[in-house]
Amino acid sequence: MADLLVRAARRRTRGLFDLLVAWGVQVTFYFRAIASVPFAPARYRKHVARLVAEISFGSASLLAGGGTIGVIFAMSFVASTQVGLEGYRGLDLIGLTPMSGLMSAMVNTRELAPLVASIALAAKVGTGFTAQLGAMRISDEIDALESMAVRSLPFLVSTRMAAAFISVVPLYLVGLFASYIATRVAVVNLQGQSGGTYDFYFQLLLAPSDVGLSLVKAVVFAMLVTLVHCFYGYYATGGPEGVGRAAGRALRTSIVAITFVDMLLTLLFWGLSPSLPALGVQ
Amino acid sequence: MALETPPPRGPFADAAAQAGMLVVFSVRTARAGARALLGRRLSWRECLEQSWFLASVSTLPAVLMTIPLGVLVAVNIGSLAGQLGAESYAGAVVAFVVVGQAAPLVCALMISGVGGSAICADLGSRKLREETEAMEVMGLSTMERLVVPRVLAAILVTVLLNGVVMAIGISATLFVHVLLGGSSGGFLATLTTYSDPGGFLMAEIKAGTFAVLAAVVSAFKGLTAKGGPSGLGDAVNEAVVMAFVLVFVANTVLTELHPLLLPPKGEF
Repeated sequence: MADLLVRAARRRTRGLFDLLVAWGVQVTFYFRAIASVPFAPARYRKHVARLVAEISFGSASLLAGGGTIGVIFAMSFVASTQVGLEGYRGLDLIGLTPMSGLMSAMVNTRELAPLVASIALAAKVGTGFTAQLGAMRISDEIDALESMAVRSLPFLVSTRMAAAFISVVPLYLVGLFASYIATRVAVVNLQGQSGGTYDFYFQLLLAPSDVGLSLVKAVVFAMLVTLVHCFYGYYATGGPEGVGRAAGRALRTSIVAITFVDMLLTLLFWGLSPSLPALGVQ
Repeated sequence: MALETPPPRGPFADAAAQAGMLVVFSVRTARAGARALLGRRLSWRECLEQSWFLASVSTLPAVLMTIPLGVLVAVNIGSLAGQLGAESYAGAVVAFVVVGQAAPLVCALMISGVGGSAICADLGSRKLREETEAMEVMGLSTMERLVVPRVLAAILVTVLLNGVVMAIGISATLFVHVLLGGSSGGFLATLTTYSDPGGFLMAEIKAGTFAVLAAVVSAFKGLTAKGGPSGLGDAVNEAVVMAFVLVFVANTVLTELHPLLLPPKGEF
C-alpha cells in the first residue's frame, strides 16, 4: 500500500515535472522567437513579403471565407449584429434605447472587435501556421533547414511574427469597420431606431484613444496567436494526424490565452470601472 | 460512395462544388443516422468514446475561457449601468448576455475549434491511410460507423458543456459584481425576473445546432482530405474556419428566430 502511494506520488511529481519542462520549452521558444524579431525580417525580406500576402489574403478558397479579410469581416459583422440586437434589448428594459449608439462605441471598440478579429485570425492564419510548420516538421524540412545552416526559428517563426505585425493593422481595421456597420444596421434597420439619434450618441461616445487602445489589443493578440500556433506546429509529432491534433491544441491554447490577456488589458487600459468621459457622469 | 473533390476550376466553381458536396454529405449523414438509430446498429461504444474524448479536451479550456469573459461582462455592464443610474438591472443584462450569447458561443468555439480539429485530424488520417476505403470494401459504412457517432457525441457534449459554462459565467459575473460593491440581492432579483426557461432552452438548441454544424463540417473536411500531411493540415485549417463562420451566422439566425420559436416571458 505504502509502496503504491509512493509510486503514485512519484507519478504525480513526474507529471508536474513534465508540465514544468513543457512550459519551459514553450517559454524558451517564445523568447528565442522574439529575440530574433529585430534582425530576421530585414534578412529575409522577400520571405516576409510573401507571408504578408499569404496572411492578408490567404489561399483564398472562397468556401473557407475568401481569404483572411473575408473571414474577419464576416465574423466581426455577424458578432456585432448581436451587440446591436442584445444591447437594444438590454437598454429597452430601462427605456434608454436612444443610447444604443453608446453600446456600439464602447462594446465594439473595447472588447468585441479585438476579440472576434483575433479569434478569426487564430482560426484562419494561426491554424494555417500550425499546419505549415507541422507539415514541415514531420517531413523533416525543418531539420533540412538546420543542416543547411539556416536557423530555422528566426527563419520560420520570427518572420511570421513580423508579417503578422504588418498585416494585422489593416485586417483589424476592416474588422472594426464591419463591427460598427453591423451594429448600426441591427439597431437602425432591424430594430427601427432613428439613424440620427444613433449616430449622435455613437459619435459623442467614440473616443479616439479607445480606437487606438483597441488596435494595441489587436496587435498584442496577433503576436500571441502567431507565437502559440507556431510553437505547436514547430514541435508537432506523430505523422499527419499529429499535425491535425497540434492545430487543435494550438487553437485551444490561443483562444484561452486571448481571453485572459484581453481581461488583463481591459483592466489595465480602463480600470475596474470603465467610464465614458463623454457622458459627463463620473 | 466516397465523395471526391473535383479538379480545381477557379475559385467560384470550387466553392460551389464544395458547398454542393457539403450539402450531399449532410443529407447522407442524416440518412445514415436515421438508418443506424432505426436499425439499432448505432455503435454506442464509439459514441461514448468520442463523447469522453471531446469532453476531456474541451471542458477545461471552456471553463478557463468563461471566467475572464464573465469578468469582462460584469466590469463593462456594471459600470455602464452605474453611469446610466440602473445598477439594479445588471443582473438582467447578464442573463441576456451570458445565457443568450456568451455561453453558446464559448461552446461553439470549443466544439468547432478543439473538437472539430480533432475530428478532422482523426478522420483525415484514416482517409490518408486508406482505412476508410478498406472499411467500405468490407461492407462497413463509414458514415454510420465514423461520422454519425461523432456528430451525436458532439451534440451531447456541447449541450452539457453549455450548462457548465452558463453556471460558471453567471457565478463569475456575480462575484465581480459584488466585489465592485454591487448588491447581490438586486443582481439575483433581476436575473431571475428576466431569465426564463425559454431562454435557457434556446441556448441549448443553439449549442446543439452549433455541434451539428461543427461536427458535420469537420467530418466532411476530414473524409475529403488528400495530399499527405500538408493536405491534412490544410483540411483541418479549412474545417475550423468554415465551422467558425457557419456557427457565427447560425447564432445570428437563431437569435433572430428566438422570439418566433419561443415567445419571451411577458413584455419587458
